[in-house]
Amino acid sequence: MKLLKRLFCLLVSLTLMLSLAGGALAADDLSQEANLVFYVMGDAPKDEAVVEDAINAILKEKFNATIDFQFSTWTDFTQKYNTQLTSGGADLIYIANWLDYGLLARAGAFLELDDLLNEYAPELRALAGEDMLNMCRVEGELYAVPALWPEYVPLGIKYREDLRAKYDLPYPDSLEHIEAYFAGVKEHEPDQVILRATASESANSLNVAFDTANIFNIKYPWVAGNALPYGLAANYDTPDQVYDYWFSDDFVEDMKLMKKWADMGFWSKSALSDTNDSEAYDNGLAIAEVAGMNPNKQISSANNFAKDHPDWESAYITYGEVTGVMYPGHATQNGTAIVRGTKYPERCAMVLNYLMTNQEMNNLVQYGIEGKHYEVVDGIYQNLDENFLYENFNTWNLRVNDYKLPQESDVALQAMFDRYNEIGAKSKFPNVNIYGGFTEDYSEYEFQRTAVSNVMRQYLAPIQAGLIDDVDAAVAEFRQKVTEAGLQDCRDGFTEQWKAYCEEYGYQ
Amino acid sequence: MTVSSERLRRAAGRPEPLNKKGFVLLCAFVALVLILFLPVFHWIRLTDTEALFSAMKLKASAAGKLGDSWSIFTFLSFVQDSKQGILGLWSFVLLLIACASAFFLAAAPFAFLTRGGAAEGRGMLRVYSLCQKGLFFSFVTAAGTLGLTIFANSHYGVSGFACGWCVWTVIVISPAAYLLSKRMERQERELRREHGFITEFRRNWILFLFLVPCFVFFLINNYLPMIGVYFAFTQFNFRDHLFASPFVGFKNFEFLLRSEILHLTRNTILYNIVFIVVGNVLQILFAVLISHVTRTRLRKISQTMIFMPYFVSYVILRVLVFNMFEYEVGLINNFVTSIGMNRIDFYNTPGYWPWLITLFYLWKNIGYGMVVYLATITGISTEYYEAAQIDGANIYQQIRFITVPLLKPTFIILLLYALGSIMKGQFELFYQLVGNNGTLFETTDIFDTYVYRITTTQPLSMGMGTASGLFQSLFGFIVILTTNFIIKRRNPEYALF
Amino acid sequence: MKKIKDRSAIPFHIIKSVLLILLSVLCVLPFIVIISGSLTSNMTILKEGFSLFPRNTTLEAYRTIFRSPEGIIQAYRMNFYYTFMGTAFGLLVITLTAYVISRKDFKYRNHVAFLIYFTTIFGGGMIPWFLMYANVLGLRGSTLAIWFPALMSPFLVILMRTFITGSVPDAVVESATLDGAGHWIIFWRIVLPVLGPGLATVGLFQALGYWNDWYRSSMFSTSSETWSLQFYLYDMVNSTMAMRQMAQNVSINTADLPTQSVKLAMAVVATGPVLLFYPFVQRYFVSGITIGAVKG
Repeated sequence: MKLLKRLFCLLVSLTLMLSLAGGALAADDLSQEANLVFYVMGDAPKDEAVVEDAINAILKEKFNATIDFQFSTWTDFTQKYNTQLTSGGADLIYIANWLDYGLLARAGAFLELDDLLNEYAPELRALAGEDMLNMCRVEGELYAVPALWPEYVPLGIKYREDLRAKYDLPYPDSLEHIEAYFAGVKEHEPDQVILRATASESANSLNVAFDTANIFNIKYPWVAGNALPYGLAANYDTPDQVYDYWFSDDFVEDMKLMKKWADMGFWSKSALSDTNDSEAYDNGLAIAEVAGMNPNKQISSANNFAKDHPDWESAYITYGEVTGVMYPGHATQNGTAIVRGTKYPERCAMVLNYLMTNQEMNNLVQYGIEGKHYEVVDGIYQNLDENFLYENFNTWNLRVNDYKLPQESDVALQAMFDRYNEIGAKSKFPNVNIYGGFTEDYSEYEFQRTAVSNVMRQYLAPIQAGLIDDVDAAVAEFRQKVTEAGLQDCRDGFTEQWKAYCEEYGYQ
Repeated sequence: MTVSSERLRRAAGRPEPLNKKGFVLLCAFVALVLILFLPVFHWIRLTDTEALFSAMKLKASAAGKLGDSWSIFTFLSFVQDSKQGILGLWSFVLLLIACASAFFLAAAPFAFLTRGGAAEGRGMLRVYSLCQKGLFFSFVTAAGTLGLTIFANSHYGVSGFACGWCVWTVIVISPAAYLLSKRMERQERELRREHGFITEFRRNWILFLFLVPCFVFFLINNYLPMIGVYFAFTQFNFRDHLFASPFVGFKNFEFLLRSEILHLTRNTILYNIVFIVVGNVLQILFAVLISHVTRTRLRKISQTMIFMPYFVSYVILRVLVFNMFEYEVGLINNFVTSIGMNRIDFYNTPGYWPWLITLFYLWKNIGYGMVVYLATITGISTEYYEAAQIDGANIYQQIRFITVPLLKPTFIILLLYALGSIMKGQFELFYQLVGNNGTLFETTDIFDTYVYRITTTQPLSMGMGTASGLFQSLFGFIVILTTNFIIKRRNPEYALF
Repeated sequence: MKKIKDRSAIPFHIIKSVLLILLSVLCVLPFIVIISGSLTSNMTILKEGFSLFPRNTTLEAYRTIFRSPEGIIQAYRMNFYYTFMGTAFGLLVITLTAYVISRKDFKYRNHVAFLIYFTTIFGGGMIPWFLMYANVLGLRGSTLAIWFPALMSPFLVILMRTFITGSVPDAVVESATLDGAGHWIIFWRIVLPVLGPGLATVGLFQALGYWNDWYRSSMFSTSSETWSLQFYLYDMVNSTMAMRQMAQNVSINTADLPTQSVKLAMAVVATGPVLLFYPFVQRYFVSGITIGAVKG
């Protein structure tokens, strides 16, 4: 019992200590040296200290501040990222939509930047432009400064062009042609695996439960990849006109196609537990990939083929090229935020401003020391030292278009971007990623949401993988289960927020 | 103090207070404190509601619904309704202490009436000890309430909170009753030749010294972080941070009710029972077999070999298993087709998986658990066996009447130990073998995999994660308390604590 | 050594041999698959799956792992350090604690046992635990944070208590007490000497736990200098996989790593030292029954 007494004393004091540590926001005293922790993803470069010293020599003199990059490592990175924010160990932090930027910002993880930028980073504000910044706003508040390098990451199908040519098959630019292409290869090479597909890993995926279902992006001009969550959909030209996909006849028809493909043996019957990773395509163990592809992956496959299998050829068709829906990646794809609870908000803003608006500094952070780690030959980046590679601090959030040194592979990439830019310019909202800026607040119906996601795993995945005998019956069962799980609440909540968002930004 | 031998004899038979007057007084005190805990008494009153509610930034409509006097058990709903998360943790801890206090105070008369403790020859000692615990906690509750009002007033800068008269009463009465109880306990102890903490400490101080590292470790590593259970009742946000985020009551527990909780509970418990029972039986079986291998080298080698699966991580196991059971090119289906049978669709047939999962669990864990039994067998004196051999006992009889009985205590402890975690699962095993394959969930979904799926689809779901953990813990706690109680009744040697 | 005279025991020995051989083979086969897989080229594994014998033998997986030898040497060093610190201190405090709660004359033994067991049931979750070490104690980046949190486990304390009660008869302790021996003497002179198998078992479990740990390195390390071996290896594979995943969202260059064979080689690299060391511990708990009175 004595122990209990002491325990409670400690409990109470600890509580007070922690709650005080959590709340207060101290004023930044510029005369005091600030050591800013900059939390970024991935692993540290070998020459971390060398480059940091070079950076800090400048920062120390200019702002009486130093930067210490801390790396998440790729093990459990989402969990550690959230823990880092909770424990307040960082000052500046990398943000991205795939790290739930919107949700975290809404929950108050980052500092409001409007005033800070005005006062301490006016050049950065001017360089970014209000349009870019507005895309990072959550509930009207600005929480992040995006990377200033436009990039396209449209979904598409990556396939073996050499096989297509060899057997004189059609280009896979529609569902019929894809089927003909797959079936053609299967016919000539019965042992060749067509697709390695698996249950959708993506944690927040509430529209697709099986990878291959990504293919339907080629059929519908949806506003976003795989349309909207909860089986809702809207077309890019009319984003605020939400319609029901799961309960439509189209859905049943699509699922019958999946069943047909599964029966044709396009993917394994054990696909739902497949330990698939993207090595398969590069090693010729699949002839196409239809989920999670983008121009950069095509280029890396093409490079791998050139190296290991010169007679193979990889080609890439984005779904947007077929449907005419094309837009660049959203601003929140890569960005920087200041962590709430930092002791040096002003210094953070000043340093960020300098990192992104000073070319020398920007290049130092991204590529290391010129002459030691890299050189520029004919305007192309060349690495000199393995100890600091291209963008080795993983600060994709500090990319600035004017300062970014292209790599060799970037030439091909840029060519693709230019083509997409042209297509995107013809759409109704030229080159605007409409869905990317939307953050759903599901706190009102989070339990229904979890139930829906569970039903999707259990009932939708086998349907999309074509592993059921009777599509109509399975769809009926799925519809019934998902309704019971509270689908309507999710849909009502989502639609209301989505329409309000469309109205606010004039996407009508 | 002299006690007549007559009274001593009587009191030794059944518990009876030595000092009747004192006992009546103590009873009155305890009853009074217990009564004051009743929710009808107002522990915390709101005095200057207008100023207070404006300091809390409450709208008039929201403020109107709030009463102005609260008992210690209802104050959390004030925290919830007024959205003042900052008061949440404090009130939460107070509530827990108050519950503990009420529990002990109510248990004391119960122990007296049912003669608890008499059987062990401890007479009234248990009653007094319960009283003291209860009174101590009631004092902490009252003092904590006082502290809460002071803290709240200084936080909001208005003197809006005040303690009710019952708080002051308890603050005065509890210590007095505590001292009284102490005094009577001392008399009783002399009678029973028992000693208290101080004597025990003086006698066994070195044992306390041995325990210091243990206390430090568990305090830092387990007990202090236990504050975290509070998160199960809050909705976390970074503005208010850990201890001021809004208190939301049982909202985080709702998702457990929506899920097929019975189904999950059944799966989890069944798997665990099979794992525990079959696992231990096989571990014992193989430990006994190995101990009977005559050649040292063989014995060592086979034991090492059986231990090896422990080093195969589940990530690798997943790949191996998929290679074996895949439909088109898996090893098993290759074999099956080569002998002219139909392929087996493992990954779409839930029925196979309970067997497979159990099989792989056993495969991986037999060697590890076997070490414990081997070590126990090694510790058995060889004299037993020699004597048995002289008496003509054959090998089965030796195992049956010497080895197995001597392994029993270890088995029971391991069994008991595992029971507390009966609602927790071998997450890695299930997650890696089954993955996201929804078709198999019917037979393979356990509590941990379900919660994992839910929390990864919801970032910032700390509340839900903690809530489900709390549910599992409570379940295990009840199971373990019950079993331990039963075992202690039958044979205290085997009890876990 | 006694000869087996008991004829009725023959079926027992046959069944015993069959069962043990069967289980041993079952347990070792996958390991052989792993070793041969680690020597097979990644392409072959991807194409043809695993097999018992290496095909297209190559050391590429091992070369990848040892690409930066100083990194892996440092990881080995740290692993030995953590395992040594954790096992040495852990074994000491576990045994001390177990001794106390095994003493029947200690009034509070059940209270203490309960408090220890209680921690296995209730916990505050990962985040408060992390905050305790990282913020309250300020141990982020320190090696202490990597070995201290696993110093004791309730399971091992309770296991050790069972060993103590099993191997030290009450009568022995009582007579020693009558001779005037205090707890200190009893613990060091009477209990510890007969606790061989118990110490070996608990020490083995403790050491294995430390040897295989990657989680604490992942949570608390701020530099790769303090990574444990398992985390070093684990992160190598994880980063390749994660970068590939990531490339869906960001234009980045993905690293190339023969992941399948590297995963298997990792298992070999991490397990090797343990299997070499294991026999030294083993002798404490495999001295058998029929071997007679000679005890290891």
